[in-house]
Amino acid sequence: MSDKGGKGGKSALKSPASKGKDSKGRKVQFDSEDMFDEKFETNGNGNGKSNGKDGTPFAKGKGGKGDKGGSSKKEPPPLLLKVEEELPENAKCLMNCEAAQILQGIQDHMVLLSKDPTIKIPSSFDRALQYANTGNFYTNPHSVRQTLETLKKQDVSDGEICLIANTGIESTKKAFALIPSLKAKKSKVKESLGTALTELNKLKTVTESTIVLD
Amino acid sequence: MFLKVQLSWNVVIPAENLDIKGLMLQKAILVRLLDDFSAKKATKDLGYLLAVTTLDKIGEGKVREHSGDVLFPVNFTCLSFKVFRGEIIEGVVHKILKHGVFMRCGPIENLYLSNQKMSGYQYQVAENPCFLNEKTGSRIEKDATLRCVVIGVKYLEAQKEFQAVVGLEGDYLGPV
Repeated sequence: MSDKGGKGGKSALKSPASKGKDSKGRKVQFDSEDMFDEKFETNGNGNGKSNGKDGTPFAKGKGGKGDKGGSSKKEPPPLLLKVEEELPENAKCLMNCEAAQILQGIQDHMVLLSKDPTIKIPSSFDRALQYANTGNFYTNPHSVRQTLETLKKQDVSDGEICLIANTGIESTKKAFALIPSLKAKKSKVKESLGTALTELNKLKTVTESTIVLD
Repeated sequence: MFLKVQLSWNVVIPAENLDIKGLMLQKAILVRLLDDFSAKKATKDLGYLLAVTTLDKIGEGKVREHSGDVLFPVNFTCLSFKVFRGEIIEGVVHKILKHGVFMRCGPIENLYLSNQKMSGYQYQVAENPCFLNEKTGSRIEKDATLRCVVIGVKYLEAQKEFQAVVGLEGDYLGPV
């Protein structure tokens, strides 16, 4: 078996027929990868292991294709958010508004905390608080979480939920444009996403008016 | 993106900090945990460590034979910040170069946006250099806030810092 393989490899360099074979082989490989990718997009809850496997060769394969085949100018694949695959089991995504509430709670005790020189605060704390506050469109993180949690039934992941809240998206069109991974679930998600975004907008306007009052 | 993480660490209390009063010991453990937590700064998986939110459990201490220090297993919940590929973030421009701009995003000091990833924008040589989109009139200048998508993330183990490459290619991305 291995001898045969070696032979094939050698002749591939010489004869055009085997070249064709080679390229054909490649084509099949890409097709299968595309199929995998589609599969991944539609089955958002597929097991993490296979998703992770698909993700890497897919990106690599596309790059290779772009370099070699000048004729096929395919656009690079959209950047899909796969937070869940990268996260360890003990970690969970938080929306900016949730983080802002927690960090602000600590900041409110800072006068007391800074009196005690033995208590150390991480150097990233201030800038993280600042970031959480700028990307915070809502005063009531609990209601935001409740509203968006309903989308979980439609396979919307935790990462996507947080991104929706963090970007303050108002329309489904904007949501699908900014979060390409949602597009794969478009037909399933569209209606409930629309309802959720309308709800979120109501929570948002309350926030804006309170800011004005402040 | 902010993360809520549950961790289990071991906290070492030097023998001289051990007190007969239980409350003081608890404080010593907490202070030591906060100290270790701040010193750790960041990890590859969790990103920048920001704050301990709850101390969930302090296990039974074990005495270390040679030093007399006591080691306590501690379970706690904390907050961290990390950016992910595909995430939409907002960065503030702090440096403009001919080939692209550097931005800050929360604790991350260096997000790089290459001029190849902001189609339509041209570099303008001036006293205050900027990138200008002549069609829309939108500018990328110092202190501008940009909404962008994360293309790649890198963790520098030695410095305990994250760096990321971001892009503006997509709808609704650009100066906010």
